[in-house]
Amino acid sequence: MSANSCGRYVYCIAEAGEMLNFGDIGINDNEVYTLPYDSLCAVVHNCSAEPYSSGDKEVVRRWVISHQRVVETTLDRFGTVLPMSFDTIIQDTDEGSAEDNTRKWLVEKAEDLKNNLDRVRGNEEYGVQVFWEPNTIAGVISQTNPELRKLEEEIKSKSKGLAYMYKQRLGELLKQEMEKEAENYFKDFYHRIEDCVSEIKVEKTKTEVDKQMLINLSCLVARGKTEPLSNELENINKLDGFSVRFTGPWPPYSFVTVK
Amino acid sequence: MEPTRDLHATLTDLLDRVLDKGVIISADVIITVSGIPLIAVNLRAAIAGMETMLEYGLMTDWDEMTRSREREIRKEEVLSEARA
Repeated sequence: MSANSCGRYVYCIAEAGEMLNFGDIGINDNEVYTLPYDSLCAVVHNCSAEPYSSGDKEVVRRWVISHQRVVETTLDRFGTVLPMSFDTIIQDTDEGSAEDNTRKWLVEKAEDLKNNLDRVRGNEEYGVQVFWEPNTIAGVISQTNPELRKLEEEIKSKSKGLAYMYKQRLGELLKQEMEKEAENYFKDFYHRIEDCVSEIKVEKTKTEVDKQMLINLSCLVARGKTEPLSNELENINKLDGFSVRFTGPWPPYSFVTVK
Repeated sequence: MEPTRDLHATLTDLLDRVLDKGVIISADVIITVSGIPLIAVNLRAAIAGMETMLEYGLMTDWDEMTRSREREIRKEEVLSEARA
């Protein structure tokens, strides 16, 4: 047994029962090919039974891009894929070779995999993130909220000590109002976007340097049917203090769940 | 508004997907480290540094915890600016 081939790095699962060689498009220029079983195939390259690991960011970046490129090539070739998570390596065991184990896994999970393929067939994934500028929103709120306006008016006639306490109260109130607004906008945007897509998934928000992420969504959209979503996002993007990031199409990374 | 696939602009989105999502095989045929499926485990540190680098334009190797703490602090800063 060669040290180079006791593992199979799996890029994705496709709906194709044919043997096909994609050439050396894999991670580190490895040769990528299909391992078919029945009507399904795993798209793999031969590797040693150890994970890809590096402290060099440039190397990691290249690996991730290669992984993605193989998934996309498969998508172009077969139309529907289930992308695997990075560094999924099936190895030799006492029961069989890495290749046997890959096929065995395809057989065991065939029904689950087919259900997932049905779910994503004809669809593409898009990433949607809505950001807001807290300062702009806070400005609007403090001008329009009657309670906040009243407090601000009252501060003017107070002594320094009292004004300080009023400002504390004002800050708290503004924070509460901001949270309420965030929730309202979240619901509003969520429903507007939901109406334009086949499936929607809420992702964790992240904080960026100069703006706050209000909502982070993965959306599954029928191929060629992105116009309603595009239009809705355009509307949101036009709102004062809001901006939208719209990325894709991605392979359906967020809409595959194999038990 | 049209979606973007520009690699430079969407690298974080790509990393989020390829490293955190996709099909995960839970079977004993998968390479593991003390029972935990080794899916990108070793890559976390490298990626954490990379995202930080993307966000701040710095080559800093912060670990995941430091990074999320940093994010919390930034979030607080933004919020307190909003309150001010």
